[in-house]
Amino acid sequence: MIIKTGFIEALPLAIAIAAYGLSYGVMADQASFSLVTAVAMSVLVFSGSVQMVAVAMVAAGAGMASVLVTAVLLNLRNLLYGAALAEGITPAGKWRWLLAMGVSDEPFVLGSARFKKYGPDPLYFAAVVGTFYIAWILAALLGSLIGNQVDPQKWGLDLAFPVTFAALLIPSLTDKPVIATALAAITIAIGLEYFLPGNEFTIIITGVVAPLVGLYLSRRALRC
Amino acid sequence: MLDQWILIGVLAAATYMSRIIGVELMAGRELSPTLRLYFNYVPVAIISALIVKQILVPADEQLFISIPVLIGCIAAAITIKISKSFLPSLVIGIIIGLLIRYFLI
Repeated sequence: MIIKTGFIEALPLAIAIAAYGLSYGVMADQASFSLVTAVAMSVLVFSGSVQMVAVAMVAAGAGMASVLVTAVLLNLRNLLYGAALAEGITPAGKWRWLLAMGVSDEPFVLGSARFKKYGPDPLYFAAVVGTFYIAWILAALLGSLIGNQVDPQKWGLDLAFPVTFAALLIPSLTDKPVIATALAAITIAIGLEYFLPGNEFTIIITGVVAPLVGLYLSRRALRC
Repeated sequence: MLDQWILIGVLAAATYMSRIIGVELMAGRELSPTLRLYFNYVPVAIISALIVKQILVPADEQLFISIPVLIGCIAAAITIKISKSFLPSLVIGIIIGLLIRYFLI
């Protein structure tokens, strides 16, 4: 039952992830990755941002050290996701080492929403991550096979990410500290993007700093 | 070919490390009330940042606002506020975003 819920809630995002997986497969093909290495990267790395950037950098002739440094920067936010998700997936015992493969943007968004409502739920997290994992790998395989231009924008699949995030955000805006956190986050993120367009730090900096606003307001409310 | 496998191995190790470190640091640990409250606000901050990142598109060192994404998000936000149901909100958000993309811009 929980697995079914996880699957259904993950499905819209899984379709969007598959669309990106398809573009990744095509890009990997163009960056002269073979079918096997392109798919192996999806199986072993399982990170949209890291893989896209890695194949784009390889195609542009970048060395391994610079790809690795970029990947470490892109991965910084996983530290925060992992810490925030730990309580929700720890009941899985040693299986958490496997579930940790799913610590990234989309599973974090769905997982933290679920844990907040129902408490720790590793099975739900596993269902969500499993759905994304299968979609990501099959799409990379297909993209690498067809190897020509695929445009997710044309089908509106790129819209699925922000629209899903918006639909998850709005119901959680229930009290003043949460609303203040969201407003602070939007302000900080716009500021960072304005000064450094497309940089890799926006999400981690916003994720660390903006919650302090909510924390401050809720503690002040407790004191009054 | 060997280089590609080494690159994949290095990226896989670096990415997995970033995922497990946070989990292991906090696993089985009793959170202090302050830290619990702090983590309570992290998802909202991250989701807001992710939305901003999708609406503001960088190109040639400049920022552009993606109107279809912005309107699609607003449409989904209004729909979920009124209907309280998740999937219809997604569908309406995406359809309105697509309509804006093809007919207004």
